[in-house]
Amino acid sequence: MKVRKSYLLLASVTVWILLGRLLNGTHTLQIATYENTPFTSFVGEKALDLRGNRTESPAFIYFFNPIRGAIDGFVQMIRNLIAVPGQNSVIPVIGWLGVVAIVAFVVYATSQWRTALLSVSLLLACGALGMWQFTMDSIAMTLAAVLLSLAIGIPLGIWAGLSDRVLKIFTPFLDLAQILPTLVYMAPIALVFMIGAASATIATMIYSIPIAIRITSHAIRSLNQAPVEAAESMGSTNMQKLSKVQIPMAKQMIVLGINQTVMAAVSFVVIAALIGAPGLGKPVIDALIIRNVGQGFVAGFAVVFLAILLDRSTSAAAKRQVSFIPPTQKQIKTKRLTLIVAGILAVVSVFVSRTMLWAAVWPKEVTIAPQVAKVTNDITAWILENLTIFTVGFKDLISYGFLNPLETQLAASPWYVTVGMIVALALIIGGTRTAIMSFVLSMAIVLSGLWYEAMLTLTQTIVGCLLTMIVGLALGIWTGRSDRVEKVLRPFLDAGQTLPAFVYLVPMLGLFGPTRFTAIATGIVYSIPVVVKIVSEGIRAVPQTLIEAATAAGSTTRQIITKVQLPAAKKTILLATNQGLIYVLAVVVIGGFVGAGGLGYLVIAGNSKPELQGKGLIAGVAILLLGVIFDRIMQAGARRSS
Amino acid sequence: MSSASPMISVQNVWKVFGNNPEKVIGSADANLSRTELRAKTGNTIAVRDVSFDVAPGEVFVVMGLSGSGKSTLVRCMTRLIEPTQGQLQFEGEDILKVDEKRLRELRKTRFSMVFQHFGLLPHRKVIDNIAYSLEINGVKKDDRHARANEVIELVGLQGYAHAYPEQLSGGMQQRVGLARALAVDPQVLFLDEPFSALDPLIRRDMQQEIIRLHYELGKTMVFITHDLSEAVKVGDRIAIMRDGAIVQIGTPQELVANPADEYVANFVRDIAKSHVLTLKHIARKAEPGDATDGPELPSNTIIRDAAQVILQSHKPVRVNDNGTALGIVSSEDVLRLISGGV
Repeated sequence: MKVRKSYLLLASVTVWILLGRLLNGTHTLQIATYENTPFTSFVGEKALDLRGNRTESPAFIYFFNPIRGAIDGFVQMIRNLIAVPGQNSVIPVIGWLGVVAIVAFVVYATSQWRTALLSVSLLLACGALGMWQFTMDSIAMTLAAVLLSLAIGIPLGIWAGLSDRVLKIFTPFLDLAQILPTLVYMAPIALVFMIGAASATIATMIYSIPIAIRITSHAIRSLNQAPVEAAESMGSTNMQKLSKVQIPMAKQMIVLGINQTVMAAVSFVVIAALIGAPGLGKPVIDALIIRNVGQGFVAGFAVVFLAILLDRSTSAAAKRQVSFIPPTQKQIKTKRLTLIVAGILAVVSVFVSRTMLWAAVWPKEVTIAPQVAKVTNDITAWILENLTIFTVGFKDLISYGFLNPLETQLAASPWYVTVGMIVALALIIGGTRTAIMSFVLSMAIVLSGLWYEAMLTLTQTIVGCLLTMIVGLALGIWTGRSDRVEKVLRPFLDAGQTLPAFVYLVPMLGLFGPTRFTAIATGIVYSIPVVVKIVSEGIRAVPQTLIEAATAAGSTTRQIITKVQLPAAKKTILLATNQGLIYVLAVVVIGGFVGAGGLGYLVIAGNSKPELQGKGLIAGVAILLLGVIFDRIMQAGARRSS
Repeated sequence: MSSASPMISVQNVWKVFGNNPEKVIGSADANLSRTELRAKTGNTIAVRDVSFDVAPGEVFVVMGLSGSGKSTLVRCMTRLIEPTQGQLQFEGEDILKVDEKRLRELRKTRFSMVFQHFGLLPHRKVIDNIAYSLEINGVKKDDRHARANEVIELVGLQGYAHAYPEQLSGGMQQRVGLARALAVDPQVLFLDEPFSALDPLIRRDMQQEIIRLHYELGKTMVFITHDLSEAVKVGDRIAIMRDGAIVQIGTPQELVANPADEYVANFVRDIAKSHVLTLKHIARKAEPGDATDGPELPSNTIIRDAAQVILQSHKPVRVNDNGTALGIVSSEDVLRLISGGV
């Protein structure tokens, strides 16, 4: 059976290549970037109508506009607190010294002084990079989005944790949210809620609420059921059970969920600069647009620092919850005393930051931004001058070796040949239902008029995913087999997962210049950590007895890997590939910024060019369809292999 | 038990898991084996037509292997699991008919439960674990702590009131579980394999503890176990369950002396009969050649306790049941029983 499947795959690929060669250049459905099809111009007009309706349609007057107003007001309130001056003021309510003091106090109170020190240093570094106000804006945006997300996500998560039926209703949405590339839903939201902080906050919430729901419901579900049953046997009401037993016991994991929600929010807030989010995303985008790597690095460092700051402070709070045993009386007393002192210091600092100008506005003289920009620009220049052999060599190798042939095959073949191939793949890997679904979704892309661009994006995603899997599998097997490697790599993998994808574009742009390869390289770097993590977990999950049995039978290490561990971890590896595909796709489309073309470019262009708005919106949908096709085929494959 | 009004009365209780459970009961499917039924309808019969009474002050043991339905049965009795069909009375009150509110009230005041895996709240100190049910009863903090301290004393946990469960050993944790169950002074204690998770030595201590508590407090107990020697030790009567149904109910002596079928016989085989049976069970008619003037012993003497007298006597012992002679027991009879014969 297995043999036949691989033969079938080989045969269909051969047929596909032959047909592609034979019919090369015909029926490619290629249209110029600025050309609209009747469908895209129809959607563009509808979007325009929608905009015009903002002051007339009841849906806007009574629903969307009030929501926008409320969220805008909320965000503005927080921004006025730390980032921008309010209406009758020239400085924010709390100046930089006050913010630093409050962060130090809060982090100290929820974890330990070392984390507090780290947080303060990171914050000061952001200021020294000349990014104080942008950083504060990002914090304000993140805070607003996180508070709203948790206010919605935690109760819904608890509900889904308690009721199977609710979870069943939520699951498809939660699954969709996981594969939804971030770029896709920004434009539709901006269309309804206008470019600005409200849209950015709502888009961020759509990204982070599912994470809060997922982890909270998992926290409630994975509880030790014995105490819950005991509480029920003692006559607790459902409310008492929840408030006195389930929530206190789930608290630790819920705090972890808050950490994940914060990280999702901060990475999205950066990208949401595309639809007008104030904050650090703006200088990054500006630098990318003018291809100033040094300037991009300055803003990028600030993003990285902010991400580390938020991650360390919230995950330290989660770690502190590990034991239910509280500290002794004496420890409590000492902590209380130092907290009071720290609290007084914080209050004084806030007061000073409201009265003294030096403590209110970050002093412009204190900056290392020009130096950082210069150093990174110099390094980039040096690399471009001296290491071109490697960078350009590698780029050309991948471009001529993989990208161009595959692009020719996918995009320059007639559309029906490629659709046929996708359906054949789906049939062999996933079965009839997957094949039908793939056919319908592929045809939707064909009919949207953006088939050619979709094939460009598909090419980049496949090549990116292939390279990701080569590196990810090797590293994943290595980390899965060695505790020492795991220990060394773990911090990097964790850090890699918390950084916004956007930030990786900057160094890649420096290395490879504005090409599609930059987008692919960013996608690879972004998705390797998650692939390595999943693969190594899969390798570790292979029962030790199997390996012992194989060793006892005299297998070599290589045989153990290829004949025991890899086959046993096959399902996990397929799931890792799926994650890799989804991650690479999400980043490759963002790479539309740096010359990657394809659907991503249309989405971004649609944001800024009114005549391309319809095309941009449809491109977003096409990206989503591509993602769903990948996901369905890979998931079905994983299901079948188990 | 012929007691006039039972504390608990269980009549024809069924629990069927799966879709449309009512349809299975009464149909021909109910007679299928578990695997056959699951294959056919997807249902599993966990409790099959179970009936028994528990008298006030009695320790009633339900014994069975894992999967026999004993844990489901005890949960049905407090409606932690809703029975599919049957009657269930507690002091004459129909438990299956009461509403949520009354059920909670019964749980808060009349019966409490002890769990195999303790079920202690990890985020609460011992004292607040024990006071939990008083807390949800609305008892003030000082009062409930006073009561909790009483039961802490009762189960021998002095000095641990402010410890957290994870700081205690398994045996200690189950003492907390016991104390928590006793805190509301319930009429009935349901114990679901309370000592199965403990080390053998600790288990023995805790069994003694239960016997002591029963002696001191006289609570009615329903005790679930998979360990026959434990059942024999603590139980006034034992119900043996298999595949959801009760195979036999009786005192330990009755089970050992007259097992209802092969299954029960297999179970009780490993029990040291001399520790359970009385002289009544092995007394036989005197045969020609037997001396009939040996020492006399009452018929309800446990054989182990009578062994020394019998083995030291040169003549068979005469067994006396309230004045009527039941027969004789010789040294050979005792030795044969101890060495594994009948």
